[in-house]
Amino acid sequence: MEKLNKPSEFSLIFKYALKDLGRNYHKISSIIVTLFISLFILSAIFTIEDSLKKELNDNAKALLGGDLEIDYNRNRGNLDLVNQVKKFSTVSQMIEFSTMLSTTGREKNKSLFTRIKTVDEMYPLYGNVDYEPKGAYERMQKEPYTILINESLSKTLNIKINEEVKVQDKKFIVIGVIKSVPDVSGFVAFGDWALAGKQTLEILKLNGIGSFLNYEYKVKFNEADKPDEIEKKIEEIFKDDQKVKLRYPENSASGIKRIINNFSQFLSLVSISAMLIAGIGIANTLLSFINQNNMSIAVRKAVGFYSGNIKTLYYLQLFILLFIITVAAYGSSFLIVPIVDKYLSDGLGLNVNPVFSLLNFLKIFLVGLLVLIIFSIPTISSIDQVKASNLFRNVFQNLQFYYSKKSVSLSFVLLSVLILLFTIGSEQPSYSLGYFGAFFVCLFVFFLLSKLIIFFLKKFKSGSLISLKVSIKNITQTKSITPITVMSLGLGVTLLLTLALVGTNFQREIAKSIPDIAPDYFFVGIQKGEKEKFEQGILNMDPRANIEIVPMVSSGIVKINGIDPNTYIKSDNDSYWVIGSERRSSWVENVPKDNPIVKGQWWDLSNPNQLQISLDAKVAKDLDIQLGDVFTLNIYGREIDGKVINFREVDYRDLSINFAMLFNPQFAKNIPHEYLATAKFNSNKFDETKMIEIMPSLSMIKIADYLAKVTAVLNKVFIAVTLISAVTIIIGLIVISSAIMVQGKVKEYQNLVFKILGFSKKQIIFSSLIEFIIIFKSVILISILFAVIGSKFIIENIFELVWMFDFKILIYLGFLIGFVTLILILLTNLKYLNPKVYPLIRNQ
Amino acid sequence: MSTLLKLKKINLKYQTGKDNISVLKNVDLNIKKKETISVVGESGSGKTSLIMLIGGLEKPTSGKIFFQDQEITGLSEDEVSEIRKKNIGIIFQSFYLIPNYTAVENVALTLELNNFKNPQKEAKILLDRFGLKHRFNNLPSQLSGGEQQRVAIARAIAMKPELILADEPTGNLDTENSIMITSILFKYVKEEGSSLIIVTHDPKLADKAKRKIKIKDGKIK
Repeated sequence: MEKLNKPSEFSLIFKYALKDLGRNYHKISSIIVTLFISLFILSAIFTIEDSLKKELNDNAKALLGGDLEIDYNRNRGNLDLVNQVKKFSTVSQMIEFSTMLSTTGREKNKSLFTRIKTVDEMYPLYGNVDYEPKGAYERMQKEPYTILINESLSKTLNIKINEEVKVQDKKFIVIGVIKSVPDVSGFVAFGDWALAGKQTLEILKLNGIGSFLNYEYKVKFNEADKPDEIEKKIEEIFKDDQKVKLRYPENSASGIKRIINNFSQFLSLVSISAMLIAGIGIANTLLSFINQNNMSIAVRKAVGFYSGNIKTLYYLQLFILLFIITVAAYGSSFLIVPIVDKYLSDGLGLNVNPVFSLLNFLKIFLVGLLVLIIFSIPTISSIDQVKASNLFRNVFQNLQFYYSKKSVSLSFVLLSVLILLFTIGSEQPSYSLGYFGAFFVCLFVFFLLSKLIIFFLKKFKSGSLISLKVSIKNITQTKSITPITVMSLGLGVTLLLTLALVGTNFQREIAKSIPDIAPDYFFVGIQKGEKEKFEQGILNMDPRANIEIVPMVSSGIVKINGIDPNTYIKSDNDSYWVIGSERRSSWVENVPKDNPIVKGQWWDLSNPNQLQISLDAKVAKDLDIQLGDVFTLNIYGREIDGKVINFREVDYRDLSINFAMLFNPQFAKNIPHEYLATAKFNSNKFDETKMIEIMPSLSMIKIADYLAKVTAVLNKVFIAVTLISAVTIIIGLIVISSAIMVQGKVKEYQNLVFKILGFSKKQIIFSSLIEFIIIFKSVILISILFAVIGSKFIIENIFELVWMFDFKILIYLGFLIGFVTLILILLTNLKYLNPKVYPLIRNQ
Repeated sequence: MSTLLKLKKINLKYQTGKDNISVLKNVDLNIKKKETISVVGESGSGKTSLIMLIGGLEKPTSGKIFFQDQEITGLSEDEVSEIRKKNIGIIFQSFYLIPNYTAVENVALTLELNNFKNPQKEAKILLDRFGLKHRFNNLPSQLSGGEQQRVAIARAIAMKPELILADEPTGNLDTENSIMITSILFKYVKEEGSSLIIVTHDPKLADKAKRKIKIKDGKIK
């Protein structure tokens, strides 16, 4: 017999592979569908992520607002140094602050806490401001008392162009609406904001102390200059100025980039789950396909093909199929980008375009290839079991998955590669590994569950109900699809229920904070002499209002124990914000009720001339601060050493007044300060506009409005996440459906015999129903258990919120998934339920 | 002997593509209780179609079929199933055993369907009677052709039906097994008083029946 294992004969195998695939692709349609859906989701995630990052990188300078940013935060900064920079480059100054913007001349005026950015005529140094009507931006620069508001503000307060609004106690004319500004990274991503000319600060008579102005200087280099040299020159100018922070384009939009990376990591993990579930179906469909070709495999072996040649033939078909599907999936993913573009251009002013990346294409192809090979190894290895001698005996041999030590080891290695591919380089590798660990534990538990169901049902005495007996027999028979159904349905349902529980817990936590703990309003901008005026103003409107007023001062940590605080913490740490820029601190006589001391003693009254610091315990842990450590704080230009004497447990989630640092009042009371206040009202008599008339510089933040905005964003995120998770369920259902179809011939034959024996259609349908109920009941119970554990871990450990069991959502989703699965099973079984006797018997 | 089955002016037509094939043409047939009949004829003459109509597995294009004086042609599929499961046993050339059920389970299935108290025990008694005691827990794929057909006969007669329909029961068997199966079948109908309609190409087997019917071009000659 001639052996066909020479490399030169590979072309022959390739020819056969193409021919076989062309004739048989419809028989493996479920492989094509599940593979396409999974690869499409993965492609969409990669394409969107790349397109977004490209947009951010391409516009890094526009997002930063210049080639370099000199950020003085709450200080006006050293203007001499800034002027030195102006000598060799273009500098644009901008100052941001938050205040109340109110409508005027209406029966019921409304106010909103608004971020206002005052810009000079140089702004923007890069990119464009998108606004309406034409010429409005130029007018704003030239004409005092003019302002441009963003679309959100215009819609919320229903402000028309040329309408008069009040900022503090001054009237401005709204001369236009801004759609987007280029430097979103240094600005608010969502919410209410406005642009005003630089003269606005003088109009409003805003000063540094108490107004919380944010000073930034954007720098554009001359085109002829070398950027590296100019950067070094500027660094040299500011080297002794500890208040300044220099930022570069590569640091722009770091927050958005971090969100993209985290979100992309999470969605990639969900999509790989879908792929792995699809893998179960692929293995099953492929085995059925090979079984259908059993005879042709035997014939090929008889004419001289080696087992290895035939296996290559099948692997080659899968490879060709995968290549075509990857091209289709990757190509289709570009269609998603315009939808994302629409959402992002409305929200952030970013315009994303599809970006082709060969690396991404290869990565997606590699992921598909790994999944295909891992799941097809035991299937294609079964070809070794086919013997040419079967042809002489006219025996049909039903092939089974074939596992050898070599194939199991290879599968394990490939699976490890797949996991590493999704873990290395991800934003948080430990979470990715944890996710994979949980996935495989779930998979194993569901496999065990299927075996347990079979074990117990084999021992179960089913009584006289024939449909029950048939369904039990179907579940327990040697080649039943029970393990596949339990695993694919179990994993899909677990994923969806977990996300549903996380979503509902998250939303409930946010919603419940409003009435239970949080005040109705936060007030900032109460000057030292206005404390009584503020209190009186509130109490006049609602005598029973609960008011809390605390002093507040802005300070920055310059040194910790005499050295740079940046050596204590990395910028990606949760507590970096404490040293990142100036923070607000306060002082109190007694320990706050909701801030218990966890270590150390309260103020040492015997040492009133020493600044004593009470620090948030979590911040202390993250910065590795010990009691007795010394913070050098910059308070209004003065550097003061303070000793950390205790740690407090601060829960920022209660939305009441919380500070990372508290000072001893004996020392701090003499520092120039303003007040921060909260109020909880017992009636609806509080009038924001009236309050602003009393105190024009007062800023108010309505907690309900703020939380509504956060919830709205979260809702959109959860809709996206749930949609992606639902794909996992859909793939799971396709896998189940394909498993039923794989058994189609057997089912049809079995139902034919049942029909001949006198079974009624009702009895056959009823047995399918019982079969489903037995399996689904067990699956849903385990899925709920996993979802409870998973969601509890995520809510309590990652989000650090209170977790609660939501029975209603589980019942609702459980029934919905159960109903959809049942319908799918019945529909898939329908064509096998009532087989036509005559054609089947005649064909035999 | 009273009439068990009556066929009146039965016609059966099939649509294959554009062609309308007439399989049975104006067939009239009366079968008495305890009667044994062989149906012979060339391939494609309509023998198997006749058996399927009698078993209620197909509906005639026109004409009426009466089983124990009850017209079954107008009944629903489930009603015909009810009659079949109690009164008619069918044996096929290709056995039609359920591949994932053991020999005992295949036989017990009919008994369970009819709410027998101890179906497994009854099935074992029947299989033992046909010399298959050592094959109780074997799957069909583990049985020889003769053994499979004996399981199929045990299943068909498990309910002691009034009528047994056998379509080429020895068609897939060697001579030795054919003789054994024929002997089991005729011994059974004699002992239990069932009627038997047997479709066959084998003249020796056909001669064993009391009445022989020949079908040619869809008509009984």
